[in-house]
Amino acid sequence: MNKQSIQKSAASGLVFGIIVIFFALIGFTVVFSGLIQKALGQSLGVGQIPSISSFLIFLGLLGIWNGWRASRQDKHETLSVKKVLGRSAIAGLVAGVLVMVYALIVGALNNSGINLRTYLSQLSSESVRFFLFNQTIVVGGLIHVFYSTLMAVIGGFLAVASERSRERVKSTRESIQKWSQDRWLGKLQGNPYVSYVLMGVVLLLLVLLPRTWGAYWNYVMGTVGIYVLLGLGLNIIVGLSGQLVLGYVAFFAIGAYTFALTTSPEPHNLVWNFWIALGVAVLAAALSGILIGLPIMRLRGDYLAIVTLGFGEIIRILLRSDILKDFTMGPRGVRNIAGPTLFGRSFTTDVDFMYLIILAVLLSIFLARRWQESSIGRAWLAISQDETVAQATGVDTQKYKLLALSLGAAFAGLGGALFASRNQFTGPEDHALMVSINVLVLVIVGGMGSIPGVVLGAFALKGLPEILRELESYRLLVFGALLVVMMIIRPEGLWPARRPKLEVPVEQDHEPVPLPATAGGEK
Amino acid sequence: MEALRKKFSLTLPQNSIRIIRIIAALLLLALIIVRAMDVAAKSQFGADTWLRLSVSGLIIGGMYALIAIGYTLVYGILFMINFAHGEVMMIGTFGGYFVFEAFNAIQVSGADGSQLSFLNAYPVIAILLAFLAGMTIAALSGLFLEKIAYRPLRGAPRLVPLISAIGASIFLQNAGQLLFGPQRRQYINPVVLDRGIGWNLEVAGSTVVLTYTGIFSLILSAILMVGLYLLVQRTKLGRAMRAVAQDKKTAALMGINVDQIISRTFVISGALAGAAGVMWGIHNGLFNYFVGFLPGIKAFTAAVLGGIGNIPGAMLGGMFLGIVESVGPAVLGIDFQLKDVLAFTILILVLIFRPSGILGEALTEEKV
Amino acid sequence: MKKSVLFFVFVVFAMVLASCNGAAPAGGEPEVCASDEFGCAKIPAGQTVKIGMGAPLTGDYASFGVDISQGAAVAVKDAGTVEGFAFELVAQDTQGAPEGGAAVANKLATDPTVVAIAGHIFSGSTEAAIPVYDKAGIPMMSPSATNPPLTTLGSKVFNRVAFTDAVQGKFAADYLYSKLGFRKIAVLHDGGAYGQGLADVVRDEFTKLGGEVVGYEAVTPGETDYTATLSALAASSPEAVYFGGYVAEGVVLTNNMKQSGLENAVFFGCDGTFGTEFVEKTGANGEGAYAASLIPPESAEKAKFDADYLAAYGVGAGTLSPYTWSGYDSAAVLMAKVKEVAVLGSDGTLYVPRGALVAAVRGTQGFSSITGDITCDAVGECNTAGPTFYIVKGGDWAQAEQ
Repeated sequence: MNKQSIQKSAASGLVFGIIVIFFALIGFTVVFSGLIQKALGQSLGVGQIPSISSFLIFLGLLGIWNGWRASRQDKHETLSVKKVLGRSAIAGLVAGVLVMVYALIVGALNNSGINLRTYLSQLSSESVRFFLFNQTIVVGGLIHVFYSTLMAVIGGFLAVASERSRERVKSTRESIQKWSQDRWLGKLQGNPYVSYVLMGVVLLLLVLLPRTWGAYWNYVMGTVGIYVLLGLGLNIIVGLSGQLVLGYVAFFAIGAYTFALTTSPEPHNLVWNFWIALGVAVLAAALSGILIGLPIMRLRGDYLAIVTLGFGEIIRILLRSDILKDFTMGPRGVRNIAGPTLFGRSFTTDVDFMYLIILAVLLSIFLARRWQESSIGRAWLAISQDETVAQATGVDTQKYKLLALSLGAAFAGLGGALFASRNQFTGPEDHALMVSINVLVLVIVGGMGSIPGVVLGAFALKGLPEILRELESYRLLVFGALLVVMMIIRPEGLWPARRPKLEVPVEQDHEPVPLPATAGGEK
Repeated sequence: MEALRKKFSLTLPQNSIRIIRIIAALLLLALIIVRAMDVAAKSQFGADTWLRLSVSGLIIGGMYALIAIGYTLVYGILFMINFAHGEVMMIGTFGGYFVFEAFNAIQVSGADGSQLSFLNAYPVIAILLAFLAGMTIAALSGLFLEKIAYRPLRGAPRLVPLISAIGASIFLQNAGQLLFGPQRRQYINPVVLDRGIGWNLEVAGSTVVLTYTGIFSLILSAILMVGLYLLVQRTKLGRAMRAVAQDKKTAALMGINVDQIISRTFVISGALAGAAGVMWGIHNGLFNYFVGFLPGIKAFTAAVLGGIGNIPGAMLGGMFLGIVESVGPAVLGIDFQLKDVLAFTILILVLIFRPSGILGEALTEEKV
Repeated sequence: MKKSVLFFVFVVFAMVLASCNGAAPAGGEPEVCASDEFGCAKIPAGQTVKIGMGAPLTGDYASFGVDISQGAAVAVKDAGTVEGFAFELVAQDTQGAPEGGAAVANKLATDPTVVAIAGHIFSGSTEAAIPVYDKAGIPMMSPSATNPPLTTLGSKVFNRVAFTDAVQGKFAADYLYSKLGFRKIAVLHDGGAYGQGLADVVRDEFTKLGGEVVGYEAVTPGETDYTATLSALAASSPEAVYFGGYVAEGVVLTNNMKQSGLENAVFFGCDGTFGTEFVEKTGANGEGAYAASLIPPESAEKAKFDADYLAAYGVGAGTLSPYTWSGYDSAAVLMAKVKEVAVLGSDGTLYVPRGALVAAVRGTQGFSSITGDITCDAVGECNTAGPTFYIVKGGDWAQAEQ
């Protein structure tokens, strides 16, 4: 073993040690062990500390990962048992010792009767003892060292084993692929009817699912659908025409409030028909896009971003302000907003609403695709690539940028109106800055300029936090971390746009520094 | 391309738009002045109120300026908005808080033999160490933030680091909540820096309090800003930073370690945010894991207002924003609830008439 | 193009067909539940009876949600079992927003073992949730949703132990005018539905009594320096500042009053600013400040709860929010009512008839707990006594002259 290899192993151990300590500090060890215990089918009462065995499983998984990572330092070398043994043992030992030091400190403080929760809210006396496996601090610390080393070594062996079997796996996979290509996949790919069948399946799912999966999933998926609408709109502005807008929520709010104020008995008693109000809301949002866009078309990049962010905040503050209270109901929000009616029958159950949203989404996808592939779309592409050149080649940049802004705003208006109608309530808190940020994130996570990307992004962004609900107060923490990891491993988004690359990205001029071979971020 | 742009910008329509813009600006200015005169004529507020409002604006403006510099430094070099900068400030606030708590718990005997906490016996040392701790830990978190969340994205499209920064911001906020709990905590200041007391000035028959904490923050932010300016203008590191900001490729050819300079920029901006965080704690007292969010957004606004990427611009923008927030509503006679509306409106107006901020250079195509 | 239009037409057609069909009939129900309007919640042996809660567990107001859910969790520990089944508190995160409230409500209403809801916490999130629970027949008992119209929406399931803003505001205005003898006050709020509702009532009632409201402003929640707003109010020299809002802003306002030229004005808060946090964080500045609360002064129950809470969570009750006691009470009432109506089936499953539970909760009479006597009226206002006023004396809350 050379010195560099030892250093790398120790570094891996260090990182894992810090991760374990961080998990312990935020109480994640207890929560995750509890989830493991529940997953194993054992019940766990409220406020009960999970069993030590589930904690050992949790630590074991981390330890194995540690050993695995430490062993595979170079893609091109072949691993030998001897190499791996040294590396993983070092990594495990370093992590274990680090954790032991932490355990000793915390355990000693806890034993001396200091209430650690005054400063670190998750470190209750029980959780500290749990971290020490209910042993004395010395025994608990030593168990950590021993267990961490053992698991890391196992992880190292697994790495060797996986490498040896990799060849076999690869050849098996290739043969399966070849077989399926010959037998059916190849034929299917060439068959034009396949896409019809696929569409049929999607259609069937869209029609049947809302009826079967219950009110909760209809609600969650309805929210996802509304965010697909928002994403499609912002995709036109950011993804296609290349303008960074951080105040998209302004249009959402204008749509929602226009709809709310025209259909609610309070405060104006207008009570318009659902469909008329919906149209008015969309128009109002589109118009506001033009009005807001006119004076600021000259701004570019981050200046445009902050100005639009300002617009979003201005709208939100005005909606809840005292001076507009008689007009918008102030912070209390507008209630009793109309639901959809058709031929005198009202559609207000969760299933009906889900269908309405699905229809709106399909319609919007259809429209967005038509625009994107028309001459307007090509003008937007030209503007987003290089505005000056686009102008020089005869594209009326002002006109097309304004068009993008107002069309994008119209989608937000539609989303806002549906949102208000479904909840039968809308208030200023529904239109906070985080909505803009969420929508921007979903467009980029999905893949800028790509419509399937927007759909996927909306699922990831609004669906994922709902799925992560099991993690309770840890869900946003996990969500934030996933966002960073996602950007690092897949910066082009989940489903990148398939536009032909017409030129070398401008950014490359600015980035002469090649990525360092081992970027610190992969830890 | 430059030639093309010049040709286009010299055509007549552009010029007439410019004239319209100037006229509109003048009209607007006249309107504001008329409104202000109208409010002043009613003389609702005496000299004491005006003084109070301006002092409060200056103090908050100083803190905004410090945080805004962090945005501007990073933007100047990487052309990215470090959305997690407010959270770096939050970490700094916690750093200073724990130092004060620790010193408050240690008992020493004072000069006259009485028992005192270390905090009150040696307030200068305690304050220095609190700032040192807050700035160090914030600088470190800035460093790691860059290493983990931004460096792997060097060269990715512009919006990707922004999303990564948003993710980091959400992560840090929630980590703060889980580590330290959701409750608000309060800084225990040394007695010499007690909140709410200060020099009493008699103005217009009423007492105006210039709080010690406020004056202290104002002076300290001024010192830090001057120090930063000297660092950027006079030292080797500053020269390297400016070189990297101007052209990374050439800077690398000149033997500058670009990665290292970027790391150091994050360290410096983190340290400034940490100092702002400790000041925030000392002056305002209350804080929790959410403390960085609002100042973060405001400071970002200030940085853009002054011209992002421009250090004096960030200072000016921060101060200006602070003053507008506290004096503006009174001048125009509107509800204080609308102070953020006023601040953002001014931002929008400034950017309409000066698209690259008050002191910003004209944007080159590449920096957009 | 043609393909997608065809697809579109298909979808529309299929959906119209699908939505015309009626809902699927419910499966066979055991006879104890057959007569019940909403049927039964069935809890299989070995599972827990769940009390749901929608609370802000992350975000700006996380401390409220965490605190109230912890208060309710203490109640769950105290409640023991029903027919051998343990209770469990399921607190879900609403982030305090209406949208989150509706999502949580839908989630909880889908879980067949959730029998009642101790919540939601904020009025907006509660309002979004009421229709969902109404449909599912799950009774609610909110510890802190105080917006007056909530009980006028005609909901069968919604009840609250908190008193409404209208009641509190009227009492407060009366106290300020008659008891303390103030004639010139300034009214402040935090721009939220709760704070503004209170502030409006106080302003109107105080004016009606003959007093003068010399300033009416709002602050932005979450900030930590309100000297500018206060200085502007000080120019009209009010005798007292009434504030509708929560502790965080109340503390900052109290601390900023002296340096804003309001050193002689009295700070008068509401039930949102009551609690130990206010006294701890205002110190000498808070001396003489008023607040309202539905918590009667010391009682044996309260002392026991405070001790339990401290032992379980390491912070004193009332440090995180002023509503933890209501959180305990709303959960306690609900669990007592579940015990009344639950039936153990012969198959070892626990049946909780939902309609009967809704009626039982609304019919609560004379349930004695920390916040005193809980008696629900016909629309679900379960605290009709009105507030008790407190004043800070010698660094702690003491009952003010009534």
